[in-house]
Amino acid sequence: MTDGDCSKIFVTGMGSICAAGKNPDAVWETVRSGRSAIGPVTQWDASTWPTPLAGEIGDFDPRVLIPDRKVHKLLRRTDVLGLYAADRAIDAAGLLAHRATLDAEAAAEFNDRTGVYVGSGGGAYHIQYDFFPLLTVADGDLGTFGRELTATINPMWLLRTLPNNVLCHIGIRHDLKGPNVCLTTHSVSGTLAIAEAAAALRAGEAERIVAVGHDAPIEPQMILYLDRLGLLARDAVRPFDVRRSGCLLGEGAAALVVETAAAARDRGATPLGEVLGSGCTSEAEGLIAIRADGDGPARAIALALDDAGIEAAAVGMIVAHGNGTRNSDVSEAAAIHRVFGASPPPVTAFKWAFGHLLAASGALDAVLALMAVRCGVVPGVATLGARDPECADLPVSAAPQPTRSDVALVLSRGFAGMNVALLLRA
Amino acid sequence: MTRGRHRVAITGVGLVTPLGHDSTSTWKALSAGRSGVGAISSFDAGGFPVRIAAEVKGFDARAAIDDRKLLKFANRAHGFALGAAEEAVRDAGVRPERSTATRWGCVVGSGMMNVEFAELGDLHRQCCVEDEFNAARLFATETLADPIAFCRSQTNAGLALLLRRFGIRGYASAVHTACASGGQAVGTAMKLIRRGTVDCVIAGGFDSMITPIGLAAFCLLGALSPDNQAPTRASRPFDATRNGFVLGEGAGFLVLEEWEAARRRGARIYAELAGDGNSLSSYRITDSHPSGDGPIQAMQRALADAGAVAEDVDYINAHGTSTPMNDRSECAAIRAVFGARPIAVSSTKSLMGHLIAGAGAVEAALCALAIHHSLMPVNANLVEPDPECHLDFVRGRPRRQRIRMALSNSFGFGGSNSCVALRHPESIDE
Repeated sequence: MTDGDCSKIFVTGMGSICAAGKNPDAVWETVRSGRSAIGPVTQWDASTWPTPLAGEIGDFDPRVLIPDRKVHKLLRRTDVLGLYAADRAIDAAGLLAHRATLDAEAAAEFNDRTGVYVGSGGGAYHIQYDFFPLLTVADGDLGTFGRELTATINPMWLLRTLPNNVLCHIGIRHDLKGPNVCLTTHSVSGTLAIAEAAAALRAGEAERIVAVGHDAPIEPQMILYLDRLGLLARDAVRPFDVRRSGCLLGEGAAALVVETAAAARDRGATPLGEVLGSGCTSEAEGLIAIRADGDGPARAIALALDDAGIEAAAVGMIVAHGNGTRNSDVSEAAAIHRVFGASPPPVTAFKWAFGHLLAASGALDAVLALMAVRCGVVPGVATLGARDPECADLPVSAAPQPTRSDVALVLSRGFAGMNVALLLRA
Repeated sequence: MTRGRHRVAITGVGLVTPLGHDSTSTWKALSAGRSGVGAISSFDAGGFPVRIAAEVKGFDARAAIDDRKLLKFANRAHGFALGAAEEAVRDAGVRPERSTATRWGCVVGSGMMNVEFAELGDLHRQCCVEDEFNAARLFATETLADPIAFCRSQTNAGLALLLRRFGIRGYASAVHTACASGGQAVGTAMKLIRRGTVDCVIAGGFDSMITPIGLAAFCLLGALSPDNQAPTRASRPFDATRNGFVLGEGAGFLVLEEWEAARRRGARIYAELAGDGNSLSSYRITDSHPSGDGPIQAMQRALADAGAVAEDVDYINAHGTSTPMNDRSECAAIRAVFGARPIAVSSTKSLMGHLIAGAGAVEAALCALAIHHSLMPVNANLVEPDPECHLDFVRGRPRRQRIRMALSNSFGFGGSNSCVALRHPESIDE
């Protein structure tokens, strides 16, 4: 295989935003230095809540992140984050600067050959609350509800709730017209968007794709549900720790511009890394239940290795899903040992630092994994105290570790028993 | 790029639509030109500006799925999905077994977040104090005490139920690109088999937005036909007097298999799922460009992907929503791709309304049936064709004709355009 075909997929631009920073360098610096950006929830008074903590973006100002004033009435918080990360990645990749050098016909061709793949959190409870004033007016009478509808609710309400808003607006803002998809597959959405983008490029469906994951799940109803299901931590996210008690939510987005080697070379782009392959499996246990034996993630990793055409021994570090819940961490450790044997490469996880970004988590993990293999440093899990005896042989530590090679494995897991493994190379 | 890739067979079809609870009854009603549109009966829509829809009437998921525990987690649309997928699997005569489960995938186009109206009412009563939302009062609500309410509301809840029901352990994903969701799901599923990720996929779409909130949302946008007095005439794609779409609900599912494996087991093959085309309009959130830019690329890409040319296509199942803008833009796109060549076009939304996230999958299934039966479904209610929509529409009655290749168009809010190409199984050059 040579660089001239489309079997080699490069990453040529990255963008990210979360509680730990508004660009990949800032997030990386926070994580690497062992600081957590998780703090008290400020979006509502959560002081008396069992879990008042989350990874909120403290100085969130949509008009600073997206200066285009016209679009804001159609965007939710999650959409602003997704668009921001995508814009940063597109900038970093130099896509628009390159297009500006093309004649009209070549620019149109460029637009047709540039796709957008998004992993989106889907809906949000609070958007439905927009109907509360109408419900007050209706006072239980559907007839009144129907009659007063147009006088009470914003006519554009539906457009603000579209799960594919980020996909739509990236397209409109930048005139991109290539293949596209919006995945609403919970916490594997962002990872799967990157995996599918790479597969589409390999199949020759486009020359480059902007792949994004975005989510803003920190809202009262969501936190309360997750808490009642026993999934939230009381103080901190401590993946693989014997004292771990669950996860904490975060918010944010990450985007990667992925490009065929040929297209990247033709426009003189500098590769930041490479997408080697992916695997996706389900466990068929229902929405929340997962298998204890790690069957799903183990098969996803094996499929990704096969897809990439590399051996397990070539993997230099692992970014685990590591959400800090009792069941997920143990089964994930079992899966890692099933594939990598007794001595896997160094393992880390990032949710302790900025919370679980759900649909965005895997995309942000991918950005950080590339930075890690580029520096040769696997950041530590700063909240880790004593390892769970069931994860005793997992090479995870509070201190940074050196990478074993320039290949990183990112593992994402989500509701519906979904597992996605993504392999990247610096 | 076509060399060496796997061919994909459609071997099972399942439908739950406003025209019937399975594919046989749906196809029969469609062939008879019977409309599924009527006054909304599932809730009191009397005060709404629009009071008509194409409802799935009298469907009980328990009749299709003998698993009450599972169905407790299913909302209305999930019930449709489970019913349609069950029919597709039975129809195909193959289902995931212990030894094959990891080689099965599932891709669905699923609707938007679905909070039951009664739950929203509960939250409103408990948490709204003088029109201000008080989060602390959430603790007292029944809705928050019900973990099943949480499960039902999750965007991939339908996917989770399907995976569990059929024991699928391979690739899975849920896509949402509004009205293009179902088409994109089918296209994505095809590629999984092509690239060897799985051997078989259950692919489809489902939705039910005929609820007070769903109806309200489309009324607010002014997208629906207000013809409350003439429900069966309300959806009239490509007619000069068209004035909006009619909301439908339901589900459509396909079983897709690697071609040679399907042949080896002697499966009945409805059609080859031959190509997928996918583009962004990047024009406006709710419209395509009047020139057809966006849909043009989707159709061209589907043809190229299928290794076909315009002359190979005999029938297009149009997106044809019956809104003034969509139909005009779609006709411009079809003319741009097919030129002056007459090509049979119809929109089955004229009889079953718009199934939103389910539409693309249902209509792909209808294309498979059209190829199988050599019968092009009618575009009902087309009395006075819009002069700007000058195409060879299937008018008056269905058209009996062998279909070598059919295209199914689906264009979504947000600008995603999907076109899938289906080929007659006997048109394949061995």
